[in-house]
Amino acid sequence: MGKTALTITQQLNETEAMLAPFRRTLRRSDQYVFDGLLAAARRHIAAIGEVESLLPFQIALLAMLLEQAKEIAVLQQKLDEMKKRNG
Amino acid sequence: MDEVTGWLLDVYADQEGGVTLWLLADNDRRLRLRMDFSATFYAAGEFSLLRQAWLYIKDKGVKLERVTRRDLFLGERDVLAVTTTNPAQLPKLFADLSRQFPSLDYYDADIPLSLRFIALIDTHLLGRCRVQLNGEWVQSIEPLSTPWEIDPLPLPLRILHISPDVDPAFREPTKLHIKHGRGEYSLSLTPVRPLLIGLKADIKRIDPDLILTDYGDTWMFPQIEKWSQESGIDFNPNRDENKAVLTRRAGSYFAYGQVIHRGAQAHLFGRWHIDKQNAMSFGEYGLEGAMEQARVTGLGVQEMARKSPGAGITAMQMLTALRNGIMVPMQKTQAEGTKTLKELISADRGGLIYQPLIGVHQAVAQIDFSSMYPAIMVKHNISPETVGKENAPEGLIPKTLRPLVEKRLMLKNILSDLNPRDCRVSTLKARASALKWLLVVCFGYLGYKNARFGKIESHEAVTATSRELMLQAKEVAEAMGFKVLHMYIDCLFVQQDEFERSSHFTPLMDAIEQKTGIPIALEGVFKWVVFPSSRRDKRVPIPNQYFGAFQDGTLKYRGIELRRRDTTTWVRKVQLAALQILAQADTMDELSGSVTDVLTLAEHVKCNLRKGDVPLEELVVRQKLSRELDAYKSPSPAARAALQLRAFGKEVAAGQSIRFMYTRGGPGVHAWELEDKLDARRLDTKRYCTLLDRAIQTVLAPCQSQLSANRLM
Repeated sequence: MGKTALTITQQLNETEAMLAPFRRTLRRSDQYVFDGLLAAARRHIAAIGEVESLLPFQIALLAMLLEQAKEIAVLQQKLDEMKKRNG
Repeated sequence: MDEVTGWLLDVYADQEGGVTLWLLADNDRRLRLRMDFSATFYAAGEFSLLRQAWLYIKDKGVKLERVTRRDLFLGERDVLAVTTTNPAQLPKLFADLSRQFPSLDYYDADIPLSLRFIALIDTHLLGRCRVQLNGEWVQSIEPLSTPWEIDPLPLPLRILHISPDVDPAFREPTKLHIKHGRGEYSLSLTPVRPLLIGLKADIKRIDPDLILTDYGDTWMFPQIEKWSQESGIDFNPNRDENKAVLTRRAGSYFAYGQVIHRGAQAHLFGRWHIDKQNAMSFGEYGLEGAMEQARVTGLGVQEMARKSPGAGITAMQMLTALRNGIMVPMQKTQAEGTKTLKELISADRGGLIYQPLIGVHQAVAQIDFSSMYPAIMVKHNISPETVGKENAPEGLIPKTLRPLVEKRLMLKNILSDLNPRDCRVSTLKARASALKWLLVVCFGYLGYKNARFGKIESHEAVTATSRELMLQAKEVAEAMGFKVLHMYIDCLFVQQDEFERSSHFTPLMDAIEQKTGIPIALEGVFKWVVFPSSRRDKRVPIPNQYFGAFQDGTLKYRGIELRRRDTTTWVRKVQLAALQILAQADTMDELSGSVTDVLTLAEHVKCNLRKGDVPLEELVVRQKLSRELDAYKSPSPAARAALQLRAFGKEVAAGQSIRFMYTRGGPGVHAWELEDKLDARRLDTKRYCTLLDRAIQTVLAPCQSQLSANRLM
């Protein structure tokens, strides 16, 4: 029953381990933001897996962008509401 | 000629030829019957070799024939059929022939006799039947029931309970507790003579159908045999006096990612022996479940109670093969086909696991596909020999599973209509659970390396179909305005504003069922459910953890400390109490008040711990030894406790559970089974408080962060 191919979670873990020196060199404040990007990708593991890509990290980057776009949309909405409230 | 009706208790090979049957007759008599019965195995291969095999075995009291039989994958084959009228001799005959001609392919050589019998007679174990007799010899058997009956007539079993006063693995027992009906008494283990005489007399007087023991496999029966030899007092617990106790050796093996220890076994003839401590799933579904599995699989109750459900599902597949004229190979023959890397990435995947939306959610429905994987195999005809073929006739696996899936669904439907306090509920639940486990493993066995009828591609076809169906379900839900909070293999958590009652979700379930063709059921509507975040990064969700309260206040929790076997009773109790406090809350504001109550509770119980008011039993940690003691480089707490036991001459094997408590200083643990009791002042209360804090944080952290978020809004 054992699987041959690595799961998307395992592949992301491997990429994260590979990027450890990059993360280490970042400033602590940047490290937190960097971790956030990876956390954003992890929210879409099922969707990344569905693509069946040989390079899933490419799709993970798209998942990060998606989360950023969502955040921008939420902030934009809040800004619009604030503008409306303040006339 | 006489006619008897009753239940078929057991069937096994008779040393003198044919089979021995045990019938629990309607007049409350237990009948030992005999029947002529022959068994056949097949050899296939190069003709010249078969000819030599023929010459080799022809004078060994067997009937030889050249016949054509079907191999599931290779189709029709010319084979040498070796038939013996003495099935007890078949293993020896086969071992002899296969040693001489190892390159031949052998079929039907290791099929349990009960399966051969059931396939031929069309009856089933524990089934009702009418038997025509000539003396003790069976002339014919007419089945009066099927294994698929929903409400079988209960067997009037006589049960004798025997257990020692302590766990013999760690302490020397001094007496045996005996229980039968309302009678209960103890027998001293010394002196041995009166013990053996007393026990022998009890078994003869009660004549039990089942001896239900604690440590009967690993200690009691081997010990009694030793005492019997030493004292010269003959002691045979079998009802069939011609047989001795069948013993099997203990062993540890690796399965489902963990080391499992199975103790030695003592099987009886004419009556059953089940050791509750050595019965794999007895805690899960008890005697009723083991009997249900015996009914549908064809393996005896003693076997099913001790074996994994995988053995049961293999037996069912063998039975289907026998009934359909398909030969059962000795070994798996289907290796994985070659694949490109792209094909491998595409195929080699499991079920769909979504990442839940972190936090507390209100009015959430959990809907589950019923027996999703088996239902997919049946509906989409997924079987090792049909995978990748269009319009193939019904495969061996779907044929085996169809009645099982239907029976479980019917039992579940009956259960959902019954009042939870109805006296039938516990029995029905046990039977449904026993069937569930057979269904659970049938999927794994499609891809299991040793499964006779396994092929990884069929395993992959099931997960691929399940992922597609889950996505279809998500699309249906979203098209109907639902928010999908989480999806996990075969269940979805959905939410929509102002949808709170079960009936609100019925149209969604109907639509999903119509789209996917797989039955779906509402597990319940949570008034609130929590999907916690990772401890390491609060922005990362955990797919296999959640807890929540249904609208009637019932709790459901998965993946948290309460579900873990290595959590102490104390921590488990407090976490459950914390959840019960939270379960009273209906709104987010009420949850806010509950958080304070939970914190007060945690402080109170920690104070009790420091005062020494918590019973030591509740602080016992239970962990498995993941390897043999000498293989540890830096011993885990469980290994350190096992080392303490070894110092007192108690050996433990890999896969065995070790019970211990955390202590200050020294090795940091104290094995629970040590003769000298732990001084409560040595307890590492700080460590226990940390364990409790973690468990409390698991249930409070999501509520607290949600509350702060709400306050910020």
